[in-house]
Amino acid sequence: MNSERKRIITILIGLCMGFVLLIGYLSYFQMFRAQAVRDNAYNKRLWINEDNILRGGIRDRDGEVLVYSETREGEAQRIYRFDNLYSHVIGYSLKDYGKSGLERKYNSYLVNANENTAINELINLINPSGVGNNLSLTIDHDLQMRTRDLMGGKKGSAIAINPKTGEILSMVSVPDFSIETLSENWTTVSENSDSPLLNRGTQGLYTPGSIFKILTAIGVIQKGVPEAIYECTGSTVIDGYTIRDFDESGHGPLNLEQAFAVSCNTYFADQAVAIGHDNLREIAESLLFNQKMDFDLETTDSIFPDKSIGLTDLGASGIGQGRVLTTPLNMLMTVSAVANDGYMPMPYIVESILTPGGLTIDSHRSQSIKVLDNGEAQALKRMMREVVASGTGTNAGLKGVQVAGKTGTAENSSGNNHAWFVGFAPLEDPKVAVVVLLEEEGSSGGRAAAPIAREIINFAINNVSN
Amino acid sequence: MNERLNGKAPRKLLFLFEILSLSLIFLYSWEGIQTETYVIAVGLVLLIYFSNFLLARISKGDSYIFLIVCMLISIGIIMIYRISPDLGLKQLMWLTFGIAMFFAAYFATRYIGFWERLTPLYLIGSYVMFAATLLMGSRTHGAINWINIAGVSVQPAEVTKIILVFLLAAFYGGDEKYRRMKNAEMILMMVAYSFIGLLFLQRDLGTAVIFFGVFTGLQYIYSEDRRLIFANLGLAAVGGISGYILFDHVKVRVTTWLNPWPHINDKGYQITQSLFAISEGGFFGTGLGRGNPSFIPLSYNDFIFSAISEEMGIFTGIGIIMLFMLLVYRGFKIALRQDNQFFRIVALGISMVFGIQALIIIGGVMKVIPLTGLTLPFVSYGGTSVVTSFIALGILQGASEKRGKAGAANE
Repeated sequence: MNSERKRIITILIGLCMGFVLLIGYLSYFQMFRAQAVRDNAYNKRLWINEDNILRGGIRDRDGEVLVYSETREGEAQRIYRFDNLYSHVIGYSLKDYGKSGLERKYNSYLVNANENTAINELINLINPSGVGNNLSLTIDHDLQMRTRDLMGGKKGSAIAINPKTGEILSMVSVPDFSIETLSENWTTVSENSDSPLLNRGTQGLYTPGSIFKILTAIGVIQKGVPEAIYECTGSTVIDGYTIRDFDESGHGPLNLEQAFAVSCNTYFADQAVAIGHDNLREIAESLLFNQKMDFDLETTDSIFPDKSIGLTDLGASGIGQGRVLTTPLNMLMTVSAVANDGYMPMPYIVESILTPGGLTIDSHRSQSIKVLDNGEAQALKRMMREVVASGTGTNAGLKGVQVAGKTGTAENSSGNNHAWFVGFAPLEDPKVAVVVLLEEEGSSGGRAAAPIAREIINFAINNVSN
Repeated sequence: MNERLNGKAPRKLLFLFEILSLSLIFLYSWEGIQTETYVIAVGLVLLIYFSNFLLARISKGDSYIFLIVCMLISIGIIMIYRISPDLGLKQLMWLTFGIAMFFAAYFATRYIGFWERLTPLYLIGSYVMFAATLLMGSRTHGAINWINIAGVSVQPAEVTKIILVFLLAAFYGGDEKYRRMKNAEMILMMVAYSFIGLLFLQRDLGTAVIFFGVFTGLQYIYSEDRRLIFANLGLAAVGGISGYILFDHVKVRVTTWLNPWPHINDKGYQITQSLFAISEGGFFGTGLGRGNPSFIPLSYNDFIFSAISEEMGIFTGIGIIMLFMLLVYRGFKIALRQDNQFFRIVALGISMVFGIQALIIIGGVMKVIPLTGLTLPFVSYGGTSVVTSFIALGILQGASEKRGKAGAANE
């Protein structure tokens, strides 16, 4: 009998513990997980809230209004003043198709549904028709327009950043789409084979081609052999496969700086093999390849392949071919680290969040991580200056401003090369860093991308306020 | 006597809750108050007042379990009415009928003395119920567990739950002749597993887990052959794993439990909508009528806990969990005080059914465990669920009264 009582009590305790666990988990969920769940764009309640709330506006760095909401015939209307121009940065906010861009990431601030305190709830009960918070961006509207003009009719992305602070000054991905008419044209836009919905700058993965040589060059410098002379014959055989140069007659004897300026493939392919997979991958990962990036917009991780690739692919990786893939934003951050003496700035777009009354709720603090030695950064700076002064990137040169950069012409499965340019200016005190990617342009980086970068740099240096 | 006097204070609190929540209902539907609103309000108060009054008069047994359940049905019907006034009215009807059945079950338990001698009947009855479901059943939400009798949909498995409790109680606490048969406990285990297997076939996973839980619990307490308990647990593990491999519907439950977010538009829809609702509510809820529980599929039924959490906050959700904990506690206390072995096991079994069912569905909608479709007893909408739960409660009430020792008639 006694053991029966004991066992009954054991079962009772078991059941009660089950209930206590549920209570514990429910409280834990509510305190630590609920916010993230609630902000999910699939949560239809976000929309219901918005029927009562005038979504906050978004301004550029000079206070130019880019987006605002107003009540028209009793209904809240979202006015995208520049429509296509910001289709990837600001993004859309549609009842049927969800949200993207800043509209998604900062939704809870824009609808002011964030502070779910008892007092706010009481206020909301009494006066449910609130007004959301405003965002102030780092984007320069004039530069954004200029960038978009320069990219007109192309496919690709161009981004400008302040390499010291990480402020994104302009970000364009083409083809873009009209936010105003997206609802009606959803099927056409979303099924378009050119993927206009994709933000190529942050989510597009591309073969980097020669701009990846910046990373291989870091490896050469770290290995301590930048001055070693290499004999370029126009092709090199790695593990049975031949890697050829653009100009098959061969560059002759070169050191790192000269090889970088003429973008010699055989030099960097052989160097990559000499550096070894582990070291090169380590360099790539310190520059955020294979890493999750924290940014105001959704990003895709750049890829540096794992050890299984073999020597031929490693050589190809050294010149940015093979299975290396990167996003334009990642390359822009890499070049910013060079410009900023080895400190990679974390990019951001939202400078501050302001209440409708103009009080600052939250403002961004610049962050950077040290990824290169100052010496490495200075050496790369010099080499990148040489590329624009006398190498493959002369088309990016400006009068009176020392531009530094690197061109890339990436072969890919489409048969038409991607044209790349990454660079910054002025050399000594960089104010702007730029990446230009022209997808399947079928032309070289120096010819197609460098002139666009030059114009963006020129405009940014002369017009962007600090 | 002393206990019954104490029962008055919580009863007053219960009415306070009803008045408050009904005023909220009135506030919420202020612009469109209809006769239904009055019917619900007056009906609910009268129903609960008279049934409590009546019970205090006739039963000398436990005075808390019915109060606890009254609180649960009050929260439930107010939420159901807020989601759909039509269903609210129907639920009031079911509650009235359910409470009538509660008294019927109470009297049946109290005045009929041969319950422990009906083992074969329970066995046959269970299989008949299963056969009826499999032959005439119709499929809703993936499970075949409804049959149609004279225009009313009935879930036989709900009834079988009670029969199972009686079967186990009769075996362990009633007539000894079955227990003395060769391999009796082994045969009982096979019978239990045949039930569980049939429930698997009907895709009624939640009920299958309840059956397993009640059987295992009682086996743990009463089995003389302790090795069988390990055999049972081993068999359950094997069964669970092969169920996962063999049945896609089991796989789906596990996938959406581990990570529903990639399947948010199809198979993960229900659970993610449930999580949205719970997270929306915060601690105090959006307020009655101010949330959107109708975004959750079956918000008035399987997911009523999420709907309540959204509008009344997780404090009410925690309250519901604690009410179930109290109900289980009282049920076990009834069992410990009961000298009659058969009724002690009946009390244990019924408390376990309530407890396990609440744990499974609340844990399911919170994504603590894989989601299996079950009603939350007394809170969810549903005729069969309400009526059978009240019958079970009536039996528990009957079992709370003093009785003679088991088997006295036999020995």
